[in-house]
Amino acid sequence: MFRKSVNVHALIMNEIKSVKAALLGFEGFLRLAVMPDSTVETLQSLEKGVCEAEGEADIALRKMIDSLVSESFLPATKKELIEISTSCDRIANKCEHASTTLVLQNFRIPSEYAEDVMKIISISVKQFAILENTIGMMFSNFKPLVKDHSVLDEIRHLESEVDVLEEGIYRRIFNGEGELAQKMRLSNMIELICDISDIIENIADQLQIMLITRRA
Amino acid sequence: MWIYLLLFSGLFMGWSLGTNDAANAFGTAVATRVVKYRVAIVIISIFVVAGALIGGDGNIYKLSSLAESNEVIASVDDVRSAIEAGTVGTLRLKSALKAAIIFACSGLTVFIMSYLKFPVSANQSIVGAVIGWGLCYADYSNPEVLSGNLKQLGKFASTWLINPLGAGLIAFGIVFLSKKFLEDKLTSLKSYDHLVKTGYIIAGAFASYSIGVNSSASVTAFYFDGAFQETGVAANLLTSPLLTAAIGGVAIALGVLTFSKRVMMTVGGSIANITQIDGFLVIIAMALTVILMEKIMGIPVSTSQAVVGAVMGAGLVRGIKNVNFGVFKRIAVAWISSPTVAGLLAYGVAFVTRGYFGT
Repeated sequence: MFRKSVNVHALIMNEIKSVKAALLGFEGFLRLAVMPDSTVETLQSLEKGVCEAEGEADIALRKMIDSLVSESFLPATKKELIEISTSCDRIANKCEHASTTLVLQNFRIPSEYAEDVMKIISISVKQFAILENTIGMMFSNFKPLVKDHSVLDEIRHLESEVDVLEEGIYRRIFNGEGELAQKMRLSNMIELICDISDIIENIADQLQIMLITRRA
Repeated sequence: MWIYLLLFSGLFMGWSLGTNDAANAFGTAVATRVVKYRVAIVIISIFVVAGALIGGDGNIYKLSSLAESNEVIASVDDVRSAIEAGTVGTLRLKSALKAAIIFACSGLTVFIMSYLKFPVSANQSIVGAVIGWGLCYADYSNPEVLSGNLKQLGKFASTWLINPLGAGLIAFGIVFLSKKFLEDKLTSLKSYDHLVKTGYIIAGAFASYSIGVNSSASVTAFYFDGAFQETGVAANLLTSPLLTAAIGGVAIALGVLTFSKRVMMTVGGSIANITQIDGFLVIIAMALTVILMEKIMGIPVSTSQAVVGAVMGAGLVRGIKNVNFGVFKRIAVAWISSPTVAGLLAYGVAFVTRGYFGT
């Protein structure tokens, strides 16, 4: 029974690791995508890395779900673990989708938005680190987490920072010069990037519900 | 042999009780899907029968004594007189018929209340019917008899308050202590789940056992001839206390196995906002209360009252807003109304049949 428990823990953390690899890969990809002189080939090679990490996350998710069948978790816990893992997988999907879109459209994020976009992705990476730590604690250090899960508030706080940056970017996009189609394309890309932070916040909410319902 | 068909009235009562009391043992576990419904009903059935076989026979004597003082079953003197008059057969038939009427009145009351999804007290309905019957035959010109009846009524009604209150206090204490000491045991999500699952199964089995001890006698005690050991002549259907309790236990188990899901969901899902750990602690509190109350009061008390009181006590640990008083009021009305309805029914039947049974 104990060995199986380690197995699910390991499988979930394995998935988180792959999602993290996709997210960090996407951060590196964006760093290039905001440079006007970056080549398509370089972007493609980084995009490939993101896609591979996303594929690994998918495999890890399926393994984790399969392993839950033989686990002795309560049905409610199994459902919650699947929901959380699936949500984490959505982060990798979002990274893959955004990077693929940028490559296919051979699109570069204008330099005047570069700083804010990099801030947004950097904040998302910070959020994810907190999330990773919290999910790990669910399996190994549950007691203090149940007593105090204020760490999840930090994720929400960071998400609101992303919201502020996102809104600022939209204002600048639509108040500036240029064609509406270009503006829409850019705002769609910004939305894709900002979705990552929203997904992480949603996962934090799911975790909080899990913890609240498990107070002794 | 046809006289044994009258046992079916008690068996129906046991079945009704099973449909209702199963909710108290595993309602929360099944409603929160911690334990599967099928697993729960098998555990309940096994432990109810075990409780009946191990501790149920003691209650047979207590209840048959209550029935005797309320003219439901014959006393030793009545049996001796019948032996002398050569009318033991008639006495036996009348005793079995009266028992069947009592169970029919209480069983009907409980079935209707259960169908309306009220966690009604089956035990209290039975005692209510016995007292209703006794009130019809009471000699009100005799102050001693009147005072005895009033005392019995007072003791009975006091359990409506003491039982849920006691369960609430015990649950409050257990849940409060768990907050202090149990959290330390929760090192991982796995250990939490393991604790919850094991806790519910142990608590449910313990509660089922307490139901077997507390309630098995209620559904068959009035077919038991307490005078048999002294007279050596059977003046009722059953003469072995163990067999009497066992039949009661099996009847309850049948109720659990066939028709218990509705009330299980009501008790488990809607009374108070409690956690999963509190859920099984509530059941332990209920079982402890039922056993304590039965020892102290000498009346089989309502497990439904105890579990609702315990749920409220547990909810109160987290604050008054965690208790749904609306549901409590609805259930409290059922507690009072079910024995009252059963008592009135029994009183009415006793009044109408007085010409036959009174002679």
